[in-house]
Amino acid sequence: MSDFLAYGFNQRALLTGALLGLTCAVLSFFVVLRRMAFIGVGISHAALGGIALGVVLGVSPVLAATAFSIVVAWMIGWIGGRGQVSEDTAIGVFFPTAMAFGVALISRSDTYRQDLVGYLFGNILSVRTADVWVVAALAGVSLVILALFFKEFLFLGVDEEAARAAGLPAEALRYTLLTVLAVTIVAAMKLVGSVLVSAFLVIPAATGQAVARSSRGMLAVAVASALVSVAGGLWLSWLWNLPSGASIVLLSAALFFVALLAGRLRGR
Amino acid sequence: MSVAPAILVQDVWFAYEREPALEGASFTVAEGSFTALIGPNGAGKSTLLRLLLGLLRPDRGRVEVFGGPTGDRSQPIGYVPQRVHLPAGFPLTTAEVALMGCYGRLGLLRRPGPGDRARTAEALAQVGMAEHAGRRFSDLSGGQQQRVLIARALAGEPRLLLLDEPTAGLDPAARARFYALVCDLQPGQGLTVLCASHDLEIVSEHVDTLVLLDRAVRAEGPPRDVLASPALAHTYAFPTPHAHDSP
Repeated sequence: MSDFLAYGFNQRALLTGALLGLTCAVLSFFVVLRRMAFIGVGISHAALGGIALGVVLGVSPVLAATAFSIVVAWMIGWIGGRGQVSEDTAIGVFFPTAMAFGVALISRSDTYRQDLVGYLFGNILSVRTADVWVVAALAGVSLVILALFFKEFLFLGVDEEAARAAGLPAEALRYTLLTVLAVTIVAAMKLVGSVLVSAFLVIPAATGQAVARSSRGMLAVAVASALVSVAGGLWLSWLWNLPSGASIVLLSAALFFVALLAGRLRGR
Repeated sequence: MSVAPAILVQDVWFAYEREPALEGASFTVAEGSFTALIGPNGAGKSTLLRLLLGLLRPDRGRVEVFGGPTGDRSQPIGYVPQRVHLPAGFPLTTAEVALMGCYGRLGLLRRPGPGDRARTAEALAQVGMAEHAGRRFSDLSGGQQQRVLIARALAGEPRLLLLDEPTAGLDPAARARFYALVCDLQPGQGLTVLCASHDLEIVSEHVDTLVLLDRAVRAEGPPRDVLASPALAHTYAFPTPHAHDSP
Protein backbone atom coordinates (compact mmCIF):
# COMPACT_ATOMS: atom_id res chain seq x y z
CA MET A 1 0.00 0.00 0.00
CA SER A 2 2.86 2.39 0.85
CA ASP A 3 4.30 1.75 -2.63
CA PHE A 4 0.94 2.64 -4.10
CA LEU A 5 0.77 5.94 -2.23
CA ALA A 6 4.38 6.85 -3.00
CA TYR A 7 3.46 7.87 -6.52
CA GLY A 8 2.04 11.32 -7.20
CA PHE A 9 -0.35 10.09 -9.88
CA ASN A 10 -1.84 7.59 -7.44
CA GLN A 11 -2.27 10.30 -4.79
CA ARG A 12 -4.01 12.58 -7.27
CA ALA A 13 -6.18 9.73 -8.51
CA LEU A 14 -7.18 8.84 -4.95
CA LEU A 15 -8.03 12.43 -4.03
CA THR A 16 -9.97 13.08 -7.23
CA GLY A 17 -11.72 9.74 -6.98
CA ALA A 18 -12.73 10.35 -3.36
CA LEU A 19 -14.19 13.76 -4.22
CA LEU A 20 -16.14 12.40 -7.16
CA GLY A 21 -17.15 9.25 -5.29
CA LEU A 22 -18.58 11.37 -2.47
CA THR A 23 -20.48 13.62 -4.88
CA CYS A 24 -21.78 10.75 -7.02
CA ALA A 25 -22.87 8.83 -3.91
CA VAL A 26 -24.98 11.71 -2.60
CA LEU A 27 -26.35 12.34 -6.08
CA SER A 28 -27.10 8.63 -6.53
CA PHE A 29 -29.52 8.87 -3.59
CA PHE A 30 -31.70 11.20 -5.66
CA VAL A 31 -31.06 9.35 -8.93
CA VAL A 32 -32.51 6.19 -7.35
CA LEU A 33 -35.33 8.03 -5.54
CA ARG A 34 -36.42 9.84 -8.71
CA ARG A 35 -35.85 6.80 -10.94
CA MET A 36 -33.34 8.79 -13.01
CA ALA A 37 -30.84 5.98 -13.67
CA PHE A 38 -31.40 6.14 -17.40
CA ILE A 39 -30.87 9.91 -17.46
CA GLY A 40 -27.34 9.37 -16.10
CA VAL A 41 -26.63 7.04 -19.01
CA GLY A 42 -28.16 9.51 -21.44
CA ILE A 43 -26.22 12.55 -20.24
CA SER A 44 -22.91 10.72 -19.94
CA HIS A 45 -23.13 9.51 -23.53
CA ALA A 46 -24.48 12.80 -24.81
CA ALA A 47 -21.43 14.51 -23.27
CA LEU A 48 -19.35 12.91 -26.01
CA GLY A 49 -21.13 15.20 -28.46
CA GLY A 50 -19.94 18.15 -26.35
CA ILE A 51 -16.37 16.90 -26.34
CA ALA A 52 -16.44 16.58 -30.12
CA LEU A 53 -17.92 20.06 -30.40
CA GLY A 54 -15.12 21.43 -28.23
CA VAL A 55 -12.53 19.83 -30.49
CA VAL A 56 -14.09 21.24 -33.64
CA LEU A 57 -14.56 24.72 -32.15
CA GLY A 58 -11.08 24.73 -30.62
CA VAL A 59 -12.26 25.23 -27.02
CA SER A 60 -11.68 23.07 -23.94
CA PRO A 61 -13.44 19.72 -24.53
CA VAL A 62 -14.36 19.51 -20.84
CA LEU A 63 -15.95 22.98 -20.83
CA ALA A 64 -17.76 22.25 -24.07
CA ALA A 65 -18.96 18.90 -22.69
CA THR A 66 -20.18 20.60 -19.50
CA ALA A 67 -22.19 23.21 -21.41
CA PHE A 68 -23.46 20.64 -23.91
CA SER A 69 -24.50 18.20 -21.16
CA ILE A 70 -26.35 20.89 -19.23
CA VAL A 71 -28.27 21.88 -22.38
CA VAL A 72 -29.09 18.23 -23.13
CA ALA A 73 -30.17 17.61 -19.51
CA TRP A 74 -32.42 20.69 -19.57
CA MET A 75 -33.93 19.69 -22.91
CA ILE A 76 -34.63 16.18 -21.58
CA GLY A 77 -36.22 17.77 -18.50
CA TRP A 78 -38.21 20.27 -20.54
CA ILE A 79 -39.56 17.80 -23.08
CA GLY A 80 -40.23 15.17 -20.40
CA GLY A 81 -41.91 17.78 -18.16
CA ARG A 82 -44.34 18.88 -20.89
CA GLY A 83 -45.89 15.43 -20.91
CA GLN A 84 -46.01 15.01 -24.70
CA VAL A 85 -43.50 12.19 -24.40
CA SER A 86 -42.16 10.55 -21.23
CA GLU A 87 -38.76 11.51 -19.80
CA ASP A 88 -37.49 8.03 -20.69
CA THR A 89 -38.49 8.55 -24.31
CA ALA A 90 -36.86 12.00 -24.36
CA ILE A 91 -33.63 10.44 -23.06
CA GLY A 92 -33.94 7.71 -25.67
CA VAL A 93 -34.06 10.39 -28.36
CA PHE A 94 -31.24 12.62 -27.04
CA PHE A 95 -28.82 9.88 -26.00
CA PRO A 96 -28.15 8.40 -29.47
CA THR A 97 -28.64 11.73 -31.27
CA ALA A 98 -26.02 13.57 -29.22
CA MET A 99 -23.66 10.61 -29.39
CA ALA A 100 -24.10 10.28 -33.15
CA PHE A 101 -23.45 14.02 -33.41
CA GLY A 102 -20.20 13.51 -31.52
CA VAL A 103 -19.15 10.53 -33.61
CA ALA A 104 -19.88 12.44 -36.83
CA LEU A 105 -17.81 15.42 -35.66
CA ILE A 106 -14.95 13.27 -34.36
CA SER A 107 -14.80 11.45 -37.69
CA ARG A 108 -13.62 14.75 -39.18
CA SER A 109 -10.69 14.90 -36.75
CA ASP A 110 -8.25 11.99 -37.07
CA THR A 111 -5.99 13.16 -34.27
CA TYR A 112 -8.65 13.06 -31.57
CA ARG A 113 -9.88 9.48 -31.74
CA GLN A 114 -7.43 8.36 -29.07
CA ASP A 115 -8.74 10.94 -26.60
CA LEU A 116 -12.34 10.02 -27.34
CA VAL A 117 -11.60 6.47 -26.22
CA GLY A 118 -10.16 8.03 -23.05
CA TYR A 119 -13.46 9.78 -22.37
CA LEU A 120 -15.42 6.61 -23.11
CA PHE A 121 -13.54 4.50 -20.58
CA GLY A 122 -11.71 7.08 -18.44
CA ASN A 123 -8.21 7.09 -17.02
CA ILE A 124 -7.99 8.51 -13.56
CA LEU A 125 -4.25 7.85 -13.41
CA SER A 126 -3.72 10.59 -16.01
CA VAL A 127 -5.24 13.24 -13.70
CA ARG A 128 -3.00 16.30 -13.32
CA THR A 129 -2.82 18.65 -10.33
CA ALA A 130 -4.87 21.24 -12.22
CA ASP A 131 -7.57 18.58 -12.79
CA VAL A 132 -7.69 17.92 -9.05
CA TRP A 133 -8.51 21.57 -8.41
CA VAL A 134 -11.17 21.63 -11.13
CA VAL A 135 -12.80 18.46 -9.78
CA ALA A 136 -12.56 19.78 -6.20
CA ALA A 137 -14.34 22.99 -7.23
CA LEU A 138 -17.06 21.15 -9.19
CA ALA A 139 -17.58 18.55 -6.47
CA GLY A 140 -17.62 21.26 -3.80
CA VAL A 141 -20.27 23.31 -5.61
CA SER A 142 -22.37 20.21 -6.31
CA LEU A 143 -22.18 19.02 -2.69
CA VAL A 144 -23.08 22.46 -1.33
CA ILE A 145 -26.15 22.61 -3.61
CA LEU A 146 -27.19 19.07 -2.66
CA ALA A 147 -26.76 19.85 1.05
CA LEU A 148 -28.60 23.18 0.88
CA PHE A 149 -31.61 21.79 -0.99
CA PHE A 150 -31.58 18.26 0.41
CA LYS A 151 -35.03 18.45 1.99
CA GLU A 152 -36.50 20.10 -1.11
CA PHE A 153 -35.03 17.48 -3.49
CA LEU A 154 -36.28 14.78 -1.11
CA PHE A 155 -39.85 16.13 -1.05
CA LEU A 156 -39.87 16.52 -4.84
CA GLY A 157 -38.61 12.97 -5.28
CA VAL A 158 -41.28 11.55 -2.99
CA ASP A 159 -44.33 13.56 -4.07
CA GLU A 160 -43.79 16.31 -6.63
CA GLU A 161 -47.40 17.48 -6.65
CA ALA A 162 -47.55 17.86 -2.86
CA ALA A 163 -44.18 19.66 -2.93
CA ARG A 164 -45.47 22.08 -5.55
CA ALA A 165 -48.68 22.57 -3.57
CA ALA A 166 -46.53 23.41 -0.53
CA GLY A 167 -44.96 26.22 -2.54
CA LEU A 168 -41.61 24.69 -3.42
CA PRO A 169 -40.28 25.95 -6.79
CA ALA A 170 -40.40 22.50 -8.38
CA GLU A 171 -39.30 23.50 -11.86
CA ALA A 172 -36.27 25.50 -10.67
CA LEU A 173 -35.26 22.69 -8.32
CA ARG A 174 -35.65 20.06 -11.03
CA TYR A 175 -33.39 21.99 -13.41
CA THR A 176 -30.91 22.62 -10.59
CA LEU A 177 -30.70 18.88 -9.92
CA LEU A 178 -30.30 18.17 -13.65
CA THR A 179 -27.49 20.76 -13.82
CA VAL A 180 -25.67 19.22 -10.84
CA LEU A 181 -26.11 15.83 -12.46
CA ALA A 182 -24.70 17.02 -15.79
CA VAL A 183 -21.71 18.78 -14.20
CA THR A 184 -20.90 15.79 -11.98
CA ILE A 185 -21.13 13.40 -14.91
CA VAL A 186 -18.69 15.45 -16.99
CA ALA A 187 -16.30 15.71 -14.03
CA ALA A 188 -16.55 11.96 -13.40
CA MET A 189 -15.94 11.04 -17.04
CA LYS A 190 -12.23 11.57 -16.46
CA LEU A 191 -12.40 9.08 -13.62
CA VAL A 192 -14.40 6.18 -14.99
CA GLY A 193 -15.40 7.32 -18.49
CA SER A 194 -18.84 7.95 -19.88
CA VAL A 195 -19.59 4.24 -20.23
CA LEU A 196 -19.10 3.55 -16.52
CA VAL A 197 -20.10 6.87 -14.90
CA SER A 198 -23.77 5.95 -14.97
CA ALA A 199 -22.96 2.93 -12.80
CA PHE A 200 -21.33 5.26 -10.29
CA LEU A 201 -24.58 7.24 -10.16
CA VAL A 202 -26.68 4.21 -9.25
CA ILE A 203 -24.65 1.50 -7.50
CA PRO A 204 -23.72 3.40 -4.29
CA ALA A 205 -27.36 4.27 -3.53
CA ALA A 206 -28.48 0.76 -4.49
CA THR A 207 -25.90 -0.61 -2.02
CA GLY A 208 -27.22 1.69 0.71
CA GLN A 209 -30.81 0.80 -0.08
CA ALA A 210 -30.04 -2.91 0.24
CA VAL A 211 -29.00 -2.66 3.89
CA ALA A 212 -30.32 0.60 5.37
CA ARG A 213 -33.52 1.11 7.32
CA SER A 214 -33.69 4.90 6.93
CA SER A 215 -32.71 7.49 4.33
CA ARG A 216 -29.82 8.69 6.52
CA GLY A 217 -28.52 5.14 6.79
CA MET A 218 -28.85 4.69 3.04
CA LEU A 219 -26.92 7.88 2.39
CA ALA A 220 -24.17 6.92 4.86
CA VAL A 221 -23.72 3.46 3.33
CA ALA A 222 -23.80 4.93 -0.19
CA VAL A 223 -20.98 7.37 0.64
CA ALA A 224 -18.92 4.73 2.47
CA SER A 225 -19.29 2.20 -0.36
CA ALA A 226 -18.32 4.80 -2.98
CA LEU A 227 -15.18 5.78 -1.05
CA VAL A 228 -14.20 2.15 -0.46
CA SER A 229 -14.81 1.41 -4.16
CA VAL A 230 -12.57 4.27 -5.27
CA ALA A 231 -9.71 3.50 -2.85
CA GLY A 232 -9.96 -0.28 -3.20
CA GLY A 233 -10.52 -0.17 -6.96
CA LEU A 234 -7.46 2.01 -7.52
CA TRP A 235 -5.35 -0.21 -5.31
CA LEU A 236 -6.53 -3.39 -7.08
CA SER A 237 -5.90 -1.83 -10.50
CA TRP A 238 -2.34 -1.02 -9.31
CA LEU A 239 -1.87 -4.50 -7.87
CA TRP A 240 -3.21 -6.48 -10.83
CA ASN A 241 -2.55 -3.99 -13.63
CA LEU A 242 -6.25 -3.55 -14.45
CA PRO A 243 -8.00 -0.50 -15.96
CA SER A 244 -8.74 1.80 -13.00
CA GLY A 245 -12.31 2.79 -14.00
CA ALA A 246 -13.33 -0.81 -14.52
CA SER A 247 -11.74 -1.88 -11.20
CA ILE A 248 -13.62 0.82 -9.30
CA VAL A 249 -16.98 -0.07 -10.82
CA LEU A 250 -16.42 -3.83 -10.39
CA LEU A 251 -15.56 -3.37 -6.70
CA SER A 252 -18.59 -1.11 -6.32
CA ALA A 253 -20.78 -3.82 -7.86
CA ALA A 254 -19.21 -6.46 -5.59
CA LEU A 255 -20.07 -4.32 -2.54
CA PHE A 256 -23.63 -4.05 -3.84
CA PHE A 257 -23.99 -7.83 -4.01
CA VAL A 258 -22.49 -8.21 -0.53
CA ALA A 259 -24.97 -5.61 0.77
CA LEU A 260 -27.82 -7.38 -0.99
CA LEU A 261 -26.85 -10.63 0.70
CA ALA A 262 -26.37 -8.95 4.08
CA GLY A 263 -29.75 -7.24 3.76
CA ARG A 264 -31.41 -10.53 2.91
CA LEU A 265 -29.75 -12.35 5.81
CA ARG A 266 -30.94 -9.80 8.36
CA GLY A 267 -34.43 -9.73 6.88
CA ARG A 268 -34.20 -6.16 5.59
CA MET B 1 -71.10 41.38 7.99
CA SER B 2 -70.98 38.10 6.03
CA VAL B 3 -68.09 35.74 6.57
CA ALA B 4 -66.20 34.66 3.43
CA PRO B 5 -66.56 30.96 2.69
CA ALA B 6 -63.51 28.76 3.07
CA ILE B 7 -63.73 27.99 -0.65
CA LEU B 8 -65.32 30.03 -3.40
CA VAL B 9 -65.52 28.63 -6.91
CA GLN B 10 -67.42 30.96 -9.23
CA ASP B 11 -68.12 30.26 -12.90
CA VAL B 12 -64.79 28.47 -13.36
CA TRP B 13 -63.76 27.27 -16.79
CA PHE B 14 -60.64 25.25 -17.48
CA ALA B 15 -59.39 23.18 -20.42
CA TYR B 16 -56.29 21.04 -21.01
CA GLU B 17 -55.17 22.02 -24.51
CA ARG B 18 -58.57 21.81 -26.23
CA GLU B 19 -60.10 19.26 -23.87
CA PRO B 20 -62.55 20.97 -21.49
CA ALA B 21 -62.32 19.86 -17.85
CA LEU B 22 -64.54 22.45 -16.17
CA GLU B 23 -67.36 24.42 -17.77
CA GLY B 24 -68.73 27.11 -15.51
CA ALA B 25 -68.41 25.29 -12.17
CA SER B 26 -69.68 27.24 -9.15
CA PHE B 27 -70.00 26.28 -5.49
CA THR B 28 -68.89 27.34 -2.02
CA VAL B 29 -67.60 25.42 0.98
CA ALA B 30 -68.40 26.76 4.44
CA GLU B 31 -65.58 27.09 6.95
CA GLY B 32 -65.35 24.09 9.28
CA SER B 33 -67.44 21.85 7.05
CA PHE B 34 -66.67 18.45 5.55
CA THR B 35 -67.63 18.44 1.88
CA ALA B 36 -67.27 15.64 -0.65
CA LEU B 37 -66.79 16.34 -4.32
CA ILE B 38 -68.32 13.46 -6.22
CA GLY B 39 -68.61 12.73 -9.91
CA PRO B 40 -67.63 10.20 -12.55
CA ASN B 41 -64.14 9.83 -14.02
CA GLY B 42 -63.25 12.90 -16.07
CA ALA B 43 -65.75 15.08 -14.18
CA GLY B 44 -63.02 17.58 -13.26
CA LYS B 45 -62.63 16.73 -9.56
CA SER B 46 -58.83 16.53 -9.55
CA THR B 47 -58.61 19.60 -11.80
CA LEU B 48 -60.67 21.55 -9.31
CA LEU B 49 -58.39 20.49 -6.45
CA ARG B 50 -55.34 21.57 -8.47
CA LEU B 51 -56.97 24.94 -9.06
CA LEU B 52 -57.55 25.28 -5.31
CA LEU B 53 -53.93 24.32 -4.60
CA GLY B 54 -52.77 27.02 -7.01
CA LEU B 55 -51.12 24.46 -9.31
CA LEU B 56 -53.40 25.50 -12.18
CA ARG B 57 -55.00 28.82 -13.10
CA PRO B 58 -58.60 28.97 -14.35
CA ASP B 59 -59.18 30.07 -17.94
CA ARG B 60 -62.17 32.05 -16.64
CA GLY B 61 -63.87 32.60 -13.32
CA ARG B 62 -62.85 33.04 -9.67
CA VAL B 63 -61.25 30.61 -7.26
CA GLU B 64 -60.66 31.84 -3.71
CA VAL B 65 -59.51 30.21 -0.50
CA PHE B 66 -60.47 31.96 2.76
CA GLY B 67 -61.28 35.09 0.76
CA GLY B 68 -57.87 35.30 -0.87
CA PRO B 69 -56.24 34.12 -4.09
CA THR B 70 -55.05 30.53 -4.43
CA GLY B 71 -51.35 29.88 -3.97
CA ASP B 72 -51.24 32.25 -0.96
CA ARG B 73 -48.73 30.49 1.30
CA SER B 74 -49.93 32.38 4.38
CA GLN B 75 -52.98 30.08 4.23
CA PRO B 76 -51.36 26.64 4.23
CA ILE B 77 -53.43 23.91 2.62
CA GLY B 78 -52.99 20.29 3.58
CA TYR B 79 -53.03 18.00 0.57
CA VAL B 80 -53.53 14.24 0.56
CA PRO B 81 -53.04 12.58 -2.85
CA GLN B 82 -54.36 9.21 -3.98
CA ARG B 83 -51.07 7.46 -3.28
CA VAL B 84 -47.34 8.11 -2.95
CA HIS B 85 -45.26 5.68 -4.97
CA LEU B 86 -41.71 5.26 -3.67
CA PRO B 87 -39.21 3.06 -5.53
CA ALA B 88 -39.51 -0.53 -4.25
CA GLY B 89 -37.69 -0.94 -0.96
CA PHE B 90 -36.64 2.72 -0.63
CA PRO B 91 -35.87 3.11 3.09
CA LEU B 92 -37.76 6.30 3.87
CA THR B 93 -39.35 6.08 7.31
CA THR B 94 -42.91 7.00 8.20
CA ALA B 95 -41.62 9.90 10.33
CA GLU B 96 -39.50 11.21 7.43
CA VAL B 97 -42.52 11.20 5.10
CA ALA B 98 -44.75 12.92 7.67
CA LEU B 99 -42.09 15.56 8.41
CA MET B 100 -42.33 16.74 4.80
CA GLY B 101 -45.60 18.42 5.75
CA CYS B 102 -43.53 21.10 7.49
CA TYR B 103 -41.34 21.83 4.47
CA GLY B 104 -43.75 24.26 2.79
CA ARG B 105 -44.06 26.33 5.97
CA LEU B 106 -40.28 26.31 6.47
CA GLY B 107 -39.58 27.49 2.92
CA LEU B 108 -36.29 27.09 1.09
CA LEU B 109 -33.03 26.36 2.91
CA ARG B 110 -34.45 26.25 6.48
CA ARG B 111 -34.18 22.86 8.12
CA PRO B 112 -36.84 21.34 10.36
CA GLY B 113 -36.16 21.87 14.05
CA PRO B 114 -37.30 20.18 17.27
CA GLY B 115 -40.65 22.02 17.12
CA ASP B 116 -41.36 20.65 13.64
CA ARG B 117 -40.44 17.14 14.73
CA ALA B 118 -42.69 17.43 17.80
CA ARG B 119 -45.55 18.68 15.63
CA THR B 120 -45.01 15.76 13.23
CA ALA B 121 -44.94 13.24 16.09
CA GLU B 122 -48.18 14.73 17.37
CA ALA B 123 -49.77 14.48 13.91
CA LEU B 124 -48.72 10.82 13.64
CA ALA B 125 -50.26 10.18 17.06
CA GLN B 126 -53.50 11.86 15.96
CA VAL B 127 -53.87 9.42 13.06
CA GLY B 128 -52.84 6.44 15.19
CA MET B 129 -49.48 5.92 13.50
CA ALA B 130 -47.06 7.02 16.24
CA GLU B 131 -45.88 3.48 16.90
CA HIS B 132 -44.99 3.09 13.21
CA ALA B 133 -42.82 6.24 13.05
CA GLY B 134 -39.59 4.27 12.58
CA ARG B 135 -40.99 1.78 10.06
CA ARG B 136 -40.35 2.06 6.36
CA PHE B 137 -43.22 3.86 4.65
CA SER B 138 -43.22 1.36 1.78
CA ASP B 139 -43.78 -1.52 4.27
CA LEU B 140 -47.10 -0.05 5.48
CA SER B 141 -50.49 -1.15 4.15
CA GLY B 142 -52.38 1.17 1.78
CA GLY B 143 -54.67 2.35 4.60
CA GLN B 144 -51.72 3.03 6.92
CA GLN B 145 -49.91 4.97 4.19
CA GLN B 146 -52.98 7.17 3.71
CA ARG B 147 -53.06 7.85 7.46
CA VAL B 148 -49.41 8.92 7.28
CA LEU B 149 -50.24 11.24 4.38
CA ILE B 150 -52.97 12.83 6.53
CA ALA B 151 -50.38 13.26 9.29
CA ARG B 152 -48.06 14.86 6.73
CA ALA B 153 -50.83 17.28 5.78
CA LEU B 154 -51.61 18.06 9.45
CA ALA B 155 -47.93 18.69 10.22
CA GLY B 156 -48.21 21.80 8.03
CA GLU B 157 -50.92 23.14 10.39
CA PRO B 158 -53.46 23.77 7.64
CA ARG B 159 -56.93 25.32 7.94
CA LEU B 160 -58.05 23.54 4.78
CA LEU B 161 -57.52 19.89 3.93
CA LEU B 162 -57.88 18.75 0.31
CA LEU B 163 -58.08 15.02 -0.32
CA ASP B 164 -57.89 13.65 -3.86
CA GLU B 165 -59.61 10.26 -3.92
CA PRO B 166 -57.61 9.20 -0.85
CA THR B 167 -59.28 5.80 -0.50
CA ALA B 168 -58.66 4.57 -4.05
CA GLY B 169 -57.45 0.97 -3.84
CA LEU B 170 -58.56 0.44 -0.22
CA ASP B 171 -61.11 -2.16 0.81
CA PRO B 172 -64.55 -0.95 2.03
CA ALA B 173 -63.70 -1.39 5.73
CA ALA B 174 -60.48 0.61 5.35
CA ARG B 175 -62.38 3.30 3.44
CA ALA B 176 -64.95 3.62 6.22
CA ARG B 177 -62.17 3.82 8.85
CA PHE B 178 -60.40 6.48 6.80
CA TYR B 179 -63.42 8.78 6.56
CA ALA B 180 -64.25 8.21 10.23
CA LEU B 181 -60.71 9.30 11.10
CA VAL B 182 -61.04 12.51 9.06
CA CYS B 183 -64.37 13.21 10.84
CA ASP B 184 -62.75 12.67 14.24
CA LEU B 185 -59.85 14.98 13.43
CA GLN B 186 -61.93 17.79 12.02
CA PRO B 187 -63.44 19.51 15.09
CA GLY B 188 -60.23 19.49 17.14
CA GLN B 189 -58.20 20.92 14.28
CA GLY B 190 -60.83 23.46 13.18
CA LEU B 191 -60.39 22.05 9.71
CA THR B 192 -62.40 22.61 6.57
CA VAL B 193 -62.24 19.45 4.49
CA LEU B 194 -62.93 18.99 0.78
CA CYS B 195 -62.58 15.43 -0.45
CA ALA B 196 -62.84 14.25 -4.05
CA SER B 197 -64.29 10.76 -3.89
CA HIS B 198 -65.93 7.91 -5.77
CA ASP B 199 -67.27 6.36 -2.55
CA LEU B 200 -70.79 7.76 -2.81
CA GLU B 201 -72.32 5.68 -0.07
CA ILE B 202 -69.46 5.57 2.44
CA VAL B 203 -68.49 9.23 2.14
CA SER B 204 -72.13 10.31 2.36
CA GLU B 205 -72.31 8.92 5.88
CA HIS B 206 -69.61 11.30 7.07
CA VAL B 207 -69.88 14.59 5.18
CA ASP B 208 -72.05 17.66 5.70
CA THR B 209 -72.37 18.48 2.01
CA LEU B 210 -72.10 16.70 -1.32
CA VAL B 211 -71.14 18.55 -4.49
CA LEU B 212 -71.93 16.58 -7.63
CA LEU B 213 -69.55 17.64 -10.37
CA ASP B 214 -69.61 16.74 -14.03
CA ARG B 215 -67.57 19.58 -15.55
CA ALA B 216 -70.16 21.87 -13.94
CA VAL B 217 -71.90 21.48 -10.59
CA ARG B 218 -75.02 19.34 -11.18
CA ALA B 219 -76.26 19.19 -7.60
CA GLU B 220 -75.16 20.51 -4.20
CA GLY B 221 -76.50 20.10 -0.69
CA PRO B 222 -76.94 17.64 2.17
CA PRO B 223 -76.05 14.05 1.18
CA ARG B 224 -79.63 12.79 1.42
CA ASP B 225 -80.87 15.43 -1.05
CA VAL B 226 -78.04 14.95 -3.56
CA LEU B 227 -78.28 11.15 -3.47
CA ALA B 228 -81.99 11.37 -4.24
CA SER B 229 -81.65 13.99 -6.95
CA PRO B 230 -82.37 13.20 -10.62
CA ALA B 231 -79.05 14.87 -11.44
CA LEU B 232 -77.17 12.02 -9.76
CA ALA B 233 -79.01 9.40 -11.79
CA HIS B 234 -78.45 11.42 -14.95
CA THR B 235 -74.76 12.00 -14.27
CA TYR B 236 -74.00 8.38 -13.50
CA ALA B 237 -76.63 7.09 -15.97
CA PHE B 238 -78.40 5.13 -13.20
CA PRO B 239 -81.70 3.50 -14.08
CA THR B 240 -83.27 4.97 -10.91
CA PRO B 241 -82.17 7.90 -8.74
CA HIS B 242 -80.88 5.86 -5.80
CA ALA B 243 -77.33 5.56 -4.58
CA HIS B 244 -77.77 1.81 -4.13
CA ASP B 245 -77.93 1.45 -7.89
CA SER B 246 -74.43 2.78 -8.28
CA PRO B 247 -72.54 1.39 -11.29
